[in-house]
Amino acid sequence: MNHPEIWMLAAAGLFGLGLYSLIIARHLLRQLIAIKIMGSAVFLVLVVTAGLVDGSLDGIAQALVLTGIVIAVAAIAFALALVVSLAETTGSISLNPDDDDGR
Amino acid sequence: MSLLLDAFAALLLLIGAFFYLAGTVGLIRFPDALSRLHALTKADNIGLLSICAGSALMAGELRVALLLLLIWLMALFAATVSAHLIARRSLRDAEDSGADAGKSPS
Amino acid sequence: MVIDVFLALGLVVLAWQALIGGSLFRGIVMFIVFGMVLTLAWAWLGSPDLAMAEAAIGAGVTGALIMIAYWRLRRINAVEPRDPSPARSRLALVIAVLATGLVGAIGLAAVSALTGDATAARVMNETLPDTGLGNPITGVLIVFRNLDTLLEVAVVLAAYIAARAALGRESADLPLPPAPDTPLLTPLVVTLAPLTMVVAIYLLKAGSQYPGGAFQASALLAALGVLLVLTGRVGPAAAANWLTRAGLVIGTLVFCLVGLGMLVIGAPLLAIPGIWAVYLIEAAMMISIGLTLVLLFAGAPGLSGKRS
Repeated sequence: MNHPEIWMLAAAGLFGLGLYSLIIARHLLRQLIAIKIMGSAVFLVLVVTAGLVDGSLDGIAQALVLTGIVIAVAAIAFALALVVSLAETTGSISLNPDDDDGR
Repeated sequence: MSLLLDAFAALLLLIGAFFYLAGTVGLIRFPDALSRLHALTKADNIGLLSICAGSALMAGELRVALLLLLIWLMALFAATVSAHLIARRSLRDAEDSGADAGKSPS
Repeated sequence: MVIDVFLALGLVVLAWQALIGGSLFRGIVMFIVFGMVLTLAWAWLGSPDLAMAEAAIGAGVTGALIMIAYWRLRRINAVEPRDPSPARSRLALVIAVLATGLVGAIGLAAVSALTGDATAARVMNETLPDTGLGNPITGVLIVFRNLDTLLEVAVVLAAYIAARAALGRESADLPLPPAPDTPLLTPLVVTLAPLTMVVAIYLLKAGSQYPGGAFQASALLAALGVLLVLTGRVGPAAAANWLTRAGLVIGTLVFCLVGLGMLVIGAPLLAIPGIWAVYLIEAAMMISIGLTLVLLFAGAPGLSGKRS
């Protein structure tokens, strides 16, 4: 890993894009994708920050991120169940469907 | 000898990359689902074969070569079935909407 | 350098494509492609373990989960909100730019502050041979920081329970798309099912020395389960039978039993007595996580035989 700065910039861009989309999107699936991409940005920061130890990537950071990837899929699965349940009960796929977009 | 082998392996990798590029260009440029599938499945499978062959030459081990062959066969199998399913679906959609056969569904 | 820039830029562009504008379906597809490019990025950064996990779990299973949720939402025929919300975009832009700057600053500061003496990782690398393991990541997950991993297995189980609670009693099982009627499916399942199981067990075994391990193996099993559900070979059941329940808890249970059993013989809590215990715990984790992910995909409390 010779150019950690590039990856840090990419992670910052991914986090910003994710946050932007999380705020402006109203479809809950889109917001979940945004959260997932923000999570990936954090994983990148973690692994790149830990850097190299004895010529290979820091094993502790890798294990931490591996745990994170599995937790993320469990959280997304639960969130999707909530979204489907919300749509079944209220008929809407958004937390604020009547956002004032008339203006 | 080893230089010649390496050069041949590199050539195979480049050929593989070229086939992938061609398949991707086809995927993006072709007008409907069936011709996109045609470009993708044919070009990518040859591309993968070429890259696997190149990697096997570089590894220079029979075990690795056999594993790569298995990978190629599996990818071929998966590509066959998924292409078949997509083609079937796009034909059915076209029949439902009464449009020309093979028109892209979206 | 060129490949670094190419991959990093590709990630940002794909995230843009997945999040901003375009139809939601297109966004989901782009998100899956994003996962594949992130897989390449992990591999390029030197972490085959993360690459495998990202390909199987991050792109594969997550993509399948989002796709099936999308299909179900279309079927429910709920009101689709119009994206994006224009009323919030100006403030969002400011917040997003600030967040980008913050993360970038933290990241760059962390990189420039790197001293290269990662003490914990170095000590871990030195102690690793004593455990009989060759893969440092498996070492951290199962031996050195196994409390985290135990809690993680518990969290995955909790996600299943929470999803069941959220979906409630009336919708015991969610709709699934009809299985495609094509003669190719039987040879596909007959070939892939045993092969996937062999590869999963191989990954689990190889994970002690080489890249791989329980998580990657469980993702493979989950992928096989998703294939079986989609092809109608396995259907949702209105209730979990005892076998499903046992499979769901076996990971947490075996982990706890081994960890507590150590107290009985006078060793510290959650000490790992040997490499056989690593395999035992990983095998149990593989079954639990894989089964949980399949059930979350099927949106049902349990699985039964053939779906009509």
